[in-house]
Amino acid sequence: MPRFDEYTGEHLIPPYRILDLTDRRAAFCGRLLADYGADVVKVEPPSGDPSRTLGPYPGDVSDGEQSLDFLFYNTNKRSITLDLETDAGRGVFRRLAADADVIIESYDRHYLTDRGIGYDDLRGDNPGLVMASVTPFGSTGEWADYAGDDLVVMAASGYMQITGEPDEPPVRQGNEHSHYPGAQYAAVGILAALYYRDFADGGVGQHIDVSSQEALITYYTDAHPALLWRKLGQNVTRVGTNSTLVIPLGAYPCQDGWIAAGVITPREWDALAEWIHEVTGNDEVLNEAYRGGNQDRAEHIDIITALFLEFAENFTVQELFHEGQRRNLVFLPVNEVADLLADPQLAESGFWYDIEHEDGSIGTIKYPLGIFHSEEVSARRRPAPALGADNVAVYQGELGMTAEDIAQLKADNVI
Amino acid sequence: MTSSVTQLPQVGPSALSGIRVVEFGPYVALPLTGRILGSLGAEVIKVETNKVLDEMSFIPAWSRGAGQPEYQRGKRRITLDVRTEAGRDLMLEMVRISDVIMTNFRRNVLDRWGIDFPEIRKQRPDAIIMWQTGLGGHGPYYTYKSFGILVQHLSGVSLMTGLPDEPPGVVNTSYSDYHTGVFQPAGIIAALMRRNLTGKTATLESSIFKSGVATGGPALLDYQVNGRGPQRRGNRDAWAVPHNVYACAGEDRYIAIAVSDDEQWVQLRKAMGDPEWAAAAEYETRLGRRRNEDTLDAGIADWTRQHESLDLMEKLQAAGVPAGMVSQGQDLNENAHLKSRQFYQDTQYWEAQRDVKATEWTEGESVSWSIPAKMSATPIPFGKYSNIGEDNAYVFGQLLGMPNSEIERLEAEGVIY
Repeated sequence: MPRFDEYTGEHLIPPYRILDLTDRRAAFCGRLLADYGADVVKVEPPSGDPSRTLGPYPGDVSDGEQSLDFLFYNTNKRSITLDLETDAGRGVFRRLAADADVIIESYDRHYLTDRGIGYDDLRGDNPGLVMASVTPFGSTGEWADYAGDDLVVMAASGYMQITGEPDEPPVRQGNEHSHYPGAQYAAVGILAALYYRDFADGGVGQHIDVSSQEALITYYTDAHPALLWRKLGQNVTRVGTNSTLVIPLGAYPCQDGWIAAGVITPREWDALAEWIHEVTGNDEVLNEAYRGGNQDRAEHIDIITALFLEFAENFTVQELFHEGQRRNLVFLPVNEVADLLADPQLAESGFWYDIEHEDGSIGTIKYPLGIFHSEEVSARRRPAPALGADNVAVYQGELGMTAEDIAQLKADNVI
Repeated sequence: MTSSVTQLPQVGPSALSGIRVVEFGPYVALPLTGRILGSLGAEVIKVETNKVLDEMSFIPAWSRGAGQPEYQRGKRRITLDVRTEAGRDLMLEMVRISDVIMTNFRRNVLDRWGIDFPEIRKQRPDAIIMWQTGLGGHGPYYTYKSFGILVQHLSGVSLMTGLPDEPPGVVNTSYSDYHTGVFQPAGIIAALMRRNLTGKTATLESSIFKSGVATGGPALLDYQVNGRGPQRRGNRDAWAVPHNVYACAGEDRYIAIAVSDDEQWVQLRKAMGDPEWAAAAEYETRLGRRRNEDTLDAGIADWTRQHESLDLMEKLQAAGVPAGMVSQGQDLNENAHLKSRQFYQDTQYWEAQRDVKATEWTEGESVSWSIPAKMSATPIPFGKYSNIGEDNAYVFGQLLGMPNSEIERLEAEGVIY
């Protein structure tokens, strides 16, 4: 069992040392582990992680320390700078890797091995090292060398094929959704590998290969793309804002926004029809032909949608949401970010963590860190680090370099 | 009838060997968590009953149950009606021999059955409890109903998708069920480490709602800092240009192309055969391409329309241009890359039938994916797919030490059913 003298269980994850060499496509992995307690050190080139220059920025004024993209994906991490393009930088990296529990990286598969710092190069000095590689298409196979960003992974996984309107081109999901599945699976793999090494008599580390394409395929399993083709020779398609899979199902305009609603069971339909009738007085909604399970209404979808729209325009989003739920119907608001920040359920779920930015103009803002609510543990609350903020702590405090050593590395543009 | 004990295949050392998990609840997210933990070597025991089948057993409607192996592989499946007194007692016995209890039933339901969290703690003081909820287990919405596909609206993602003034952009899947399903094993494994190191246990409450919002991205910060709602850009990007999907030869076929620097643009021009229009000065720089993005996209689409999406992807990638075909089911099935990684594998399943005991359902052929993490020292097996109740003999007989006669009696009484 490892020794963590300071660890008392305030955070869920023991303070394992993790070197994070990922870009924004996989940075969420290290963030998740850092939020819950791991000691994640982001290793940045001396010019800084590219997402520091991506923005958006406060007031749209470019500032490498205040890129909101960087701040979102790197909360609770520390930062050191190191140039892996130099011999000296790689030498320092080998020393760091010798004492690390985990390395997470998202370079193309030849980058680290070509520089003599791949998994096989590093594990000789550190047999317990766990290394996770999160790449668009994985480390093996015909497409292993293919490049991809969020759009390309969303396309190749087929996730886009079912996103958007049926008669229009596929659409990218706007939260850059492909950044999460691979990162999440890598986090699970890393924790499992550490568990094996330290608590299940495994004793050794290992390499974990995660393909973002594969991970995203698993995030729409219930569309069953491969199965549908094998069984029926059909391809999955886009169904649009209002789906025909369940009737009615979708997002509908109301007085001040959109309401999402879905009616599946016969009982839910009867409750909805009664409510619509109360509001509109339109007897058509009570037509026996519309009763029953959701597909029983399939041929009447146009009239049912029209009836629903006529009904919904009498209410605000919040009125429909709460009254619908009171009537045991699945009615949910279509939220904007502003609504989420004001949402009383999230506020009471320990979800938002106020984090103070001591430098710069941001001040204290909320971060979505409370994925698990618990009386026993909490997430950390430390903003993403300034570039190289932990150089002294790591290089001097841990590697035992002198101030002169550090000055020399700086002069040589290594850190 | 008591069935024989089924042996699970072992491909090598497994990461979570020695950990036992009780999975208690239906649908998508919780069973996915169970599949992941089971694949990593934990002994996951899924408790369900033939009397109230998971509705997912009947999905997809065109091949009822063929999609279930994807959620239920690699676990032991037993039947137990916890609403009976004997069933509840057996459930608590299972709690006593397990490290982790995870459920997505509501508080009032667990209370009614006498399997509430205080009772679980009493039976197994050091149990890790994962309580998965829809909108939250406490707070103003705790009685509210939801389901996965609509949570993309609730969590703000649909109004980040598509273009301004368009309706919310929707993906046709149970959106954040999957985030929740993969967050939960991380929380559980970490809680087990913490328990080993400190002796402390933990109850963790997750929600489908929170999992969706947690992956909202930098837009969550932009609103707070700049008072600005999400930028809906369709398939275009804040940085890269050209960055879009383009129609290809055939019906409903597209390719995504994402050019992030001038060098990639030069390579794209070459791949297109250096057409005259693309040599224009206004496209040379990123800023110029941004200013003229509409004509740029139209020019590229004129070219892509003449080619197959797979051919284009391979040609562009060989030239160093990030590109990806928009894959469909047939593509994924036949894809050489996924085949060489053994991503999809053949599996048997049982065709679900209402009012018929699952062990009497007809077997058929299906396909399911492998866990998307290849671990070198503890390789993740594809895992066996057990039918509902298939592992009764193993769990009740071998683990709980019940004699066959007792198991048969409880089967006849509808407790183990």
